[in-house]
Amino acid sequence: MDRPPPAASLSPQEWEQLLDDFASSSPTSRRYRWLHLPLLDLAVSSLPRRDLPSHLKPLLLSLVDDHLLPPSPRSLPLLLNTLLSFPADHPLRDHLLTTVVSAFASALAAPVSRDHDAPPLAALADALLVAANRPNHAPDRAARALACDALRALDAALPGLLADALGHLYALAAAERSPAAQSYLLLLASAARHAVRLGRLASTASILAVAGPPTPFSVPAHLLSAPQHASAAPPSEVNLRDIRKVLALLMDRPQVLTPAAAMEMTSILAEIASAVLEWAPAIAAHIKVQFGGMAYSSSPMLLHSLLVLFVQFPDAFGAQDERTMASRLALAAREAHRPLPVRLLALHWLLGTGRFTNLVPGLARWFYPSIFDPLALKAKKLDCLAYVTAGIDGEKAAGGRDSEQLTGLLDDGLSCVSAFRWLPARSTETGVAFRALHKVFVGTAPHSTDDTRCGGAGELLNSTIFLHVQAILVEMASDHRGLVPVISEFTNRLLACNLHQWAGEQLLRTLDERLLPRLEPGYQLASYYPLFEKIAQNETVPQLRLIELLTKQMVSLTKDHGPDTELKSWSQGSKVVGICRVMLKHHHSSHIFLPLSHLLVLTIESFPDLEVRDHARICLRMLSCVPGKKLRHLMGVGDQPSGVSPSLPGSLFDIPSQRPAQDSKSMTDLASYIHLERIVPLVVKQSWALTLPNFSVQSRPSGYILSIQEVSSTPSEQEKPTGPTIERIGYTQETLRVMDAKGAETLQILRRYFACVPDYLHSSGLKIRIPCTFRFDSEPFKHVWGSDLPVSGSDGADELPALYAVVIAFSSSAQFGKIPSCHVPFILGEPPGSGMDIIPVDNQNREESSYCASVVIELEPREPSPGLIDVSVAANTENCQVLSGSLKPITVGIEDMFMKASVPPDTPKEGVAMYYQDLFHALWEACDSSSNIGRETFLLGRGKGSAAINGTRSVKLMEVTPKVLIGAVERYLASFLVSVAGDSLVTILRRNGVIKNIVWEASVSDASVGADALVPYSPDSNLQLQLIDDDDIRVGSGRYGSENKRDMGCMQVMIFLPPRYHLLFSMEVGCASTLVRIRTDHWPCLAYVDEYLEALIS
Amino acid sequence: MSGGGCSVRAIWILTPHDTVAFSRRFAVVEKRWRASWEAEGVGGGEGDRLGAAAATPPQLPADYEVAAAFAERRKRFAAMPLVLQSAYSVADACRPVTIFFIAFQEGTARGSGIRTSLSSVGSDSWVDDPITRHVISLHIDKEESDGFMIWPVVLQKRGGYYVLVLPMVDPVSFRAYENLLERPDCGSSAKENGNLSSILLNLPCITGAFMVAHVIGDIITGDTAEPEVIVNSGPSVGGLLDSLTGSIGISARSKPIAAPVAAPTASVSSPVGAAQSESLKGGLRPFDKELLRNFIIGAMPFGTPQDLNYTNVTSIKTTGFSGDPLPTDQKQPAWKPYLYKGRQRILFSSLETINAALYDRDDVPDFLSVSGQVTCRAELEGLPDVSLPLTGLETAHVEVSSFHHCVQASEPTDNKQTLVFQPPLGNFVLMHYQAPCNIAPPVKGFYQLSMVSENEGAFLFKLTLMEGYKSPFTMEFCMITMPFSRRRVASYEGNPSIGTVSMTEHSIEWRIVSSGRGLSGRSIEATFPGTVKFLPRTTQRTNSSFRSVSSITYAEDSDSEQDNVKNGASLDDYIMENINKDLQAVDLEDPLSWQAYNYAKVSFKITGGTLSGLTLDPKSINIYPTVKAPAEHSMQASSGDYILWNTLGKCPTAALPREL
Repeated sequence: MDRPPPAASLSPQEWEQLLDDFASSSPTSRRYRWLHLPLLDLAVSSLPRRDLPSHLKPLLLSLVDDHLLPPSPRSLPLLLNTLLSFPADHPLRDHLLTTVVSAFASALAAPVSRDHDAPPLAALADALLVAANRPNHAPDRAARALACDALRALDAALPGLLADALGHLYALAAAERSPAAQSYLLLLASAARHAVRLGRLASTASILAVAGPPTPFSVPAHLLSAPQHASAAPPSEVNLRDIRKVLALLMDRPQVLTPAAAMEMTSILAEIASAVLEWAPAIAAHIKVQFGGMAYSSSPMLLHSLLVLFVQFPDAFGAQDERTMASRLALAAREAHRPLPVRLLALHWLLGTGRFTNLVPGLARWFYPSIFDPLALKAKKLDCLAYVTAGIDGEKAAGGRDSEQLTGLLDDGLSCVSAFRWLPARSTETGVAFRALHKVFVGTAPHSTDDTRCGGAGELLNSTIFLHVQAILVEMASDHRGLVPVISEFTNRLLACNLHQWAGEQLLRTLDERLLPRLEPGYQLASYYPLFEKIAQNETVPQLRLIELLTKQMVSLTKDHGPDTELKSWSQGSKVVGICRVMLKHHHSSHIFLPLSHLLVLTIESFPDLEVRDHARICLRMLSCVPGKKLRHLMGVGDQPSGVSPSLPGSLFDIPSQRPAQDSKSMTDLASYIHLERIVPLVVKQSWALTLPNFSVQSRPSGYILSIQEVSSTPSEQEKPTGPTIERIGYTQETLRVMDAKGAETLQILRRYFACVPDYLHSSGLKIRIPCTFRFDSEPFKHVWGSDLPVSGSDGADELPALYAVVIAFSSSAQFGKIPSCHVPFILGEPPGSGMDIIPVDNQNREESSYCASVVIELEPREPSPGLIDVSVAANTENCQVLSGSLKPITVGIEDMFMKASVPPDTPKEGVAMYYQDLFHALWEACDSSSNIGRETFLLGRGKGSAAINGTRSVKLMEVTPKVLIGAVERYLASFLVSVAGDSLVTILRRNGVIKNIVWEASVSDASVGADALVPYSPDSNLQLQLIDDDDIRVGSGRYGSENKRDMGCMQVMIFLPPRYHLLFSMEVGCASTLVRIRTDHWPCLAYVDEYLEALIS
Repeated sequence: MSGGGCSVRAIWILTPHDTVAFSRRFAVVEKRWRASWEAEGVGGGEGDRLGAAAATPPQLPADYEVAAAFAERRKRFAAMPLVLQSAYSVADACRPVTIFFIAFQEGTARGSGIRTSLSSVGSDSWVDDPITRHVISLHIDKEESDGFMIWPVVLQKRGGYYVLVLPMVDPVSFRAYENLLERPDCGSSAKENGNLSSILLNLPCITGAFMVAHVIGDIITGDTAEPEVIVNSGPSVGGLLDSLTGSIGISARSKPIAAPVAAPTASVSSPVGAAQSESLKGGLRPFDKELLRNFIIGAMPFGTPQDLNYTNVTSIKTTGFSGDPLPTDQKQPAWKPYLYKGRQRILFSSLETINAALYDRDDVPDFLSVSGQVTCRAELEGLPDVSLPLTGLETAHVEVSSFHHCVQASEPTDNKQTLVFQPPLGNFVLMHYQAPCNIAPPVKGFYQLSMVSENEGAFLFKLTLMEGYKSPFTMEFCMITMPFSRRRVASYEGNPSIGTVSMTEHSIEWRIVSSGRGLSGRSIEATFPGTVKFLPRTTQRTNSSFRSVSSITYAEDSDSEQDNVKNGASLDDYIMENINKDLQAVDLEDPLSWQAYNYAKVSFKITGGTLSGLTLDPKSINIYPTVKAPAEHSMQASSGDYILWNTLGKCPTAALPREL
């Protein structure tokens, strides 16, 4: 089927197929396969073919007419030849002529190329003129008429083509008596119009002058060159006479024209006559005489043609004619036999020209809609009545008309659609009625007009009609609850309009004044909620009456509440609270504070529905806590923009914000102007984290403590680690162990201690707090978000942008447990250039500054390791936008994990230092890999879990002077210091006075063997340790080995790492360097400790 | 000014299935249109929809694009999810969360023509004028480039087809309308500059396009018969073709189908509802495209209408002018292509249609109005002038009259007006007029229907027919229909004092006077007490959301439903109110929501006189040059919307004019 058709000529079947493809209304794809063919040529050359069925030929011509025009100029000679060689009596000849002339007229435009296009054009015009030039030849009158029409079409496409032949055309038109005369007259008119347009009248040569016979025809010179500007010179006398002659012929008997032709003729006449009116003013009167009778015609075309003349020649038609015309139009709309559009048009024409303005009121009785008028016509007639009403109202203001007449007119008009009062609100009658009311408004106060008399706001406000419409609306609202949504929509339409906003507001005030007192609380009141909401939204309407009514309503709802009305109570209660919420948003809280809070309190106290009470509570809190203006912005979230068509029953319901919440463009760089920063900077500037995929408490419950495994059921078996676990803890049955006294003591210390460590797997673990500050920069924020922030008034703070309900959420890939999000209810942007430094903020005291909120990130680490916390923020801006995105992550260092070990509650205060020292020693020993405590498990506090210690050791040589070291320790590790030994060290530290409440050991002797002394009961291992240490020193920093005199003393540092680990430092301070012996029961932390210690002293 | 006149760029005929059944483009007009737009330099203006195609105005859209645009317009949905939920919580599992979709169809519902809250800027209904249901804009979407708008598309719905005619307008008017479509304020008034009325006044082409669309509609519905002229003695006479064939000597064909003006079902607007009567006509009848094409070639060969008279255009095409002589001294009118030859006579018929709203209430006056026409058939040789004096205009209170374009009417003075005309060949409507009913209404009385229960009603008719009508007034038939379009009639009981009663699914019909036994020279009284039982109502809320505008938007809050019986309203009102809850909004073409009321419709035909009292005197007719031609005048009146409103129920009214 899609086979490409042959190029030479198409068979009848192919033509059928082609026609079908072109007729299909599917997209053009089916046509494409034919388009490579010279279809026009093929179609035209197929016409004389005898093998083509005759029914196809007209279709081919129609194909050309509809789809192949305009043709390329190359095809024109072929078209012309086909036409000229076509038998004159062929039934298709007329159609072919039409097609060929259409092709010429659509393809050619001035200037015509002299060599290619002019000859065929001249030949065509010649043939047509020959056909036309046989006046009163009876049998071929139709063909002659068609030739005239064809010439007219060519003349219209190539203006002035026949300007030189005007004389001939005049003679032909004057002579013709057959019905074809109409075509001759129109041709003459068209040619004369172009002669006028070309400025021929100014010439002294007569336009009607003829040089010879009309044929042979040649294309006039002005069409062969670029078009010139027509001269505007006044017409010469001879041509003035001639054009009047032409006009006289054209206007001789317009009755002989068909209405369609008359329409064409009047438009041409109007143009020619107005061109020469200045020099021949009598023409206008002539026009009136000849065409005035059309006013009584049934034909709308004639009526409209006359109107064209009427508008064009205002001087010709006097006041009497104006009255006649106006009443004819008003009456035309009453004629039942006319099609509805024509009746509507007649009224439009009446209103369309200013000439009838003063006459329209007098026609009022004709605008009364009759009962069987279609609603469209009733609507249009009501427009006219509204127009009259508005006109009279203005007049009355000027002095003296009966206002009853005025309001009566509107009431009478509306009565034809009075059914709108009892029909459903969606009925067409309702639409028509409210449209009419609106027309009264815009008629009295139009949007823009030259006429300064009307259009003022005050005019309408004081007008009788406005008062009357308000009364109507109040009455309607009070009697017909179903109409309330329509009324609310009506006010909305006014409110949305810049010019009529005040009318809408006034309407709301009137409703507030007159409707509200009439309403009784009860379930029926719900019908009025849409209106209440409109009132609540409007700042210009006092709210007290509404609040009072709503309070009554709440009381009534509470009273009527019963088992059957639960849903009703909820629904109505929520809506009332919804209205309160709207009120909160739109009004200064001070104005409505008392009554509204009364209403809310009442609701909170007594309303039966929990959710409603809840909402009321929220509203009340907002009312009392947030300052008005900010509150309104805040509550704008989810509201529709105050557009023209908030068609929904309103924002009683939360409608998801239409604004896209994520404006990706502005979200991406949130981090650049919103800051969440640590108050205490990390010692280690660059952080890295050791990631051990399987090293996680959660993921390996079984490898740990039996009891834990039993309890934690969530992790699946697959997650069990297959790799080596570092901490191998014997959780199997205790074997008998030999334990000496010291060991027993150590165990006891540890048992006592671990009982204080919370069982983090079964209850909440210890929490790490990272204080941060939250702030944002005003300037960049405004730049991104603030373009539509309202410029606010008085106080300076208002000029700063603000964020509301900021929720900062955290997440981390590190084992920090669930990190609760932080909330900042309200924060102002940081003023530019304020140079705010980071203020150290105490956790308890959050009200440091309104520019800067303190935020504490609480971690509950499952494992002490540094990590990054991803921060995402969500907040509302003042202008109801929801801002969300991520900020720069917060770095958590190992030092954040440092905590003091817990102290059993029964420890006396003065015994704490001692306790720490004992604990240090016990842990130190337990962390010795060779320690036999390693197999012991310790029950954790308040839980079933227990811990075992699997220690690791390490050393670190720090090449620093004692001064630096002491400074660092005092600064960063003071609270973890357990004991200091060695005279010089003690002296220095004591003098500094930073370190307090620790054990001071004066003995220097111990210092040299400090580490060893801790473990006197395992000398071998101690020795071994030392050897290793020495090796390290030798290997790592040989040159210090000899002079390494750790003679100043020793500091012992004990750090608890949540959830249950420890880090122990024994720092042997020397003059040139310090050796730090490290023990821990959590070996991965060693990875960070090294770096930390480096950072301490750098 | 657009240069006046009317030139048509394109014609489309679309089916209800949004396919193009017929299209015709006029390349000559299109070229002129492009030239005028290019000359005006369209595209430089701000906010121009033509967008990138600044210098070159958009191409005439292809058929499928028009079909798509029209389909889009007809089905323009403003669907809007409405989530009803409690005031704050986003989703509350305990509470019902209801989602409604509002459907809104601009093309068919009342939406178009009146701005509603759902109208959007740029749609025709934004302009808020009923004429925009007939002069529409189409938004053409282009795949490869920006879309554009075509306006004014004159729309006529005929026989299930949509006839679209696009006349050529000047860019100034186009832009003026575009402004109206996009102005952000609450709606325009006729007092502002650039209002729709002044645009329409400046565009005769729209009026012309209407007439083109109208005649095309006639052709596709086959409604091309000439107006009826009744002859007192003998059958109706044929039209132009009969005159032609008679004069040329071809054997007479069968009589043309005269429009059954007085048939009971035919009326100006059927109370049963236009939509239903449309569907009663059955499916889409294919039309003769060849015929239409030939008509267009004859009537508007180059897009500018010359003659929109179907009979003339087709007879010129088919018959030619082989033997027709020409008048010797004067121009033969274009609307009279042939001259009559044969026995001379002149016939007039006065055909009147009476519309009535009878209330039988003290507070509401009855409404009676007669619209009439005088049809004429002048079988006169040559081009004679006929002068016809109309008398009794004031006595008949003729409100308005308009005349055939061949008529030159004098100013009506002193109860008298003279019409001078050169009659065309065949039947034509000489004049139309509106008048009150100047004698007593032919059927008067009352109809009462009272609902005894929700499914049963008692009714009573008490009527007087032809009171005060003397011979030769004859009532040929009279029938009363009680339509219950939204109830199904189960049964009825009761016997009328005269006539027969029958029942259909949705109505009860009472034939008081049957055709063939005309009522003449006397009046009769007819009573009919009875009861009617209905099948129980089934809720028919289906698809109402599509037809009616946003039923949800206006939906009554379920909380506020209230038992109105308590408020003392009658049972009738209560039942009606319940029924009316799911009443569909009617089209703007309907005069009122028929279905909201109970009424009885009277159909009748009366011959032998006119109800307005306006008559012609055949003897006073003057023909110049004088010929001896007998003149006849026949008269007939029939009912249009002749409604007896239920005296016990609600009824629609309209105020009668008062003088200012």
